[in-house]
Amino acid sequence: MNRLPGAIFVVLSLAVAACAPVQLFPADVRNGVENDFDFSTWRNIPNARIGQKVQLGGRIVQVNGGNGSLTIIATQLPIVQQPAYGPKDSGRRSGEFSIVYPGALDSKWVKAGNRLIVIGTTKEAKTVVVDDVQRSLPSLTAHCLHIWNTGGKEIAEFPYNAGGGYEPLEEETHCAPH
Amino acid sequence: MKRRERQAWFTGFCLLSLWAPAGAEEIGPVRAPAHPAVVAQAESTRDTGAPSQPPVASPPGGTSLEDLLLQKGSITMDEWIQVRAEQEYSGAESARRIDAIEDWKTRTELFPILRDKVNFGLNALQFLYSHQDAHVPEGKSQDNFSIRRSEILFWGRISDTLPRWHALMEFQSINFGRETPTGGSGAATGQPIAATFFRESYIDFRPFQSWAPYMNFIRMGIFRMPFGIFTETSGGLRDIISSPYLTSVGSGNGNRTGSAGTIDFLQERDFFVDVRGKLFNRLEYVAGIMNNNNFHANATGANAPKSFYTRVRLFGTDVSWISFTTIQGESNNANTNINGRGKGAFDRYGLDFRYTSKIIPGFMIQGEWWQGHDGANQTTVGRPANGACLDQTICGGSGAPGAMRRTWYVLAKYLISDGPFQNWEPTVMYEQFDPSTSMSNDLYTRTILGLTYYFENFPPKVQSKIQFNYEFRHHQGNGPGVAYDTTFDAFAQNAFLVQFQIRFM
Repeated sequence: MNRLPGAIFVVLSLAVAACAPVQLFPADVRNGVENDFDFSTWRNIPNARIGQKVQLGGRIVQVNGGNGSLTIIATQLPIVQQPAYGPKDSGRRSGEFSIVYPGALDSKWVKAGNRLIVIGTTKEAKTVVVDDVQRSLPSLTAHCLHIWNTGGKEIAEFPYNAGGGYEPLEEETHCAPH
Repeated sequence: MKRRERQAWFTGFCLLSLWAPAGAEEIGPVRAPAHPAVVAQAESTRDTGAPSQPPVASPPGGTSLEDLLLQKGSITMDEWIQVRAEQEYSGAESARRIDAIEDWKTRTELFPILRDKVNFGLNALQFLYSHQDAHVPEGKSQDNFSIRRSEILFWGRISDTLPRWHALMEFQSINFGRETPTGGSGAATGQPIAATFFRESYIDFRPFQSWAPYMNFIRMGIFRMPFGIFTETSGGLRDIISSPYLTSVGSGNGNRTGSAGTIDFLQERDFFVDVRGKLFNRLEYVAGIMNNNNFHANATGANAPKSFYTRVRLFGTDVSWISFTTIQGESNNANTNINGRGKGAFDRYGLDFRYTSKIIPGFMIQGEWWQGHDGANQTTVGRPANGACLDQTICGGSGAPGAMRRTWYVLAKYLISDGPFQNWEPTVMYEQFDPSTSMSNDLYTRTILGLTYYFENFPPKVQSKIQFNYEFRHHQGNGPGVAYDTTFDAFAQNAFLVQFQIRFM
């Protein structure tokens, strides 16, 4: 009888821990991230918000490499908790932004269609060529990237993929070298 | 009063709208060359009857080339009108085309196939050549061509609540499965009645969005069972050509040792309902209940005693894990569609692991270990059986006591990702199956050396490849004291297989 409260406490603790939110990035990287960052405003006036630490979700559209860094063009997607934590394509067209990652990544991580969450600092708008069209996109320098190797599919589609076959989703956090 | 006011306003608007186009015509191009665009619109409106036209493109500053030429006297007004009319004509044509495309776009966007509600694909189309060293009956060949699988898959996503439906047809497998009748040895052999064309169908149901992924969804229907790794892996994604022994091993009918005959240790598919989710972001679970009578039961109608199953999978990294599976319940030999099952308590315990190396990209090793108990009087599908009776002459079946079976395998492969051997993948697998752990002289062993070349490799949806497998097979026998000849036993003689596969969805 005396053990009952202890058992309840253990069960509740496990339940809370089991349903705890996912933490993809180290605490020092997460510190200082602006929680109420308005992507639409930044997209419209990219140079008005320089130097802010933000977290954004997206889908990789294109990647340009060179000079020891990568420029990732991504379409912004909302980060959801359900059915699986991460950027989710809601079907609505959202804006693109560019991520400058000061380092190299394996090609499998920077494929078009992969989902990502980035923590970075906003910079001045960057002129890039997307689909042969020169565009000025809001830009940020990445501190850390978390990439899901979804190949264009939704995160929630894994691991029980259409077609049969258990396919665990590859995901990894990459932080820029200091 | 108000009604009259509304009528007056309405009449006014109608008069205004009637006046507007007339006015436009009156201030035409000839009378007002300083505003030629308006004239052109009026001309166009008269010719085509189009409600509106897109503005004519003009260079920055608002003055077009023909305006400049007109102002400088390089062209006459008639030529200016002609140029503008041609522009209007091409503009109207473009607008008409765009309207037509928009119309089609609006229509086609409603197609279920463009909204992910209905999709179809080729799960696996496999052409197999096999050579076996085992002797074959007169008139047969040791070299065989066959279509191993011809599977068309349909699936879709209806909503967040119904995230997937799925149906798989096996066009190659139109043979009939036998039923296993109840009765003694005098009873008739089961008739072939169940086709296997209908292979998989299931519905995923996510009742509470906010509970995902902890309680992600409920799956109900027929599908590959979540037992270990191989059972759950589609035939179009497997690393070797043959099915592992844990799925099926042996041939012929059972005997009183419980070691002989075909044994389907783990059925690949069944009728089931289960719940799936993920905890701690590291621990996946599945728990459910199944018919325990294979998917053929859809046609034969046998609802066998149910079994409970569960699997927990703990991830070390995102792609490496260890998991534990158990199945607990009852089985019955009468009316079964699974070989080697007896009457009584039924259980399975399984451990599996997969290590996908991040240090050596392309290297993967996995393994499974399974053990389980089958009840007494195990039967071969199609032979009469009658409960737990051990007297084979009365009951049919094998007449064997309950048997504890055990199997395990280890598979390793390495995908070469650059150099002259890019896209080649050597594979090696070793497996053992012990039909009855209490009996000697009944062990099956096999070593498979494989080589795969991928034409396209974007799993899980795209995988076109050619596989070469050589299998070193060995079978000790059908139990102690049982006469056994390896000459015709395909599980005791080596085999060579080549399989060409397309998978695209």
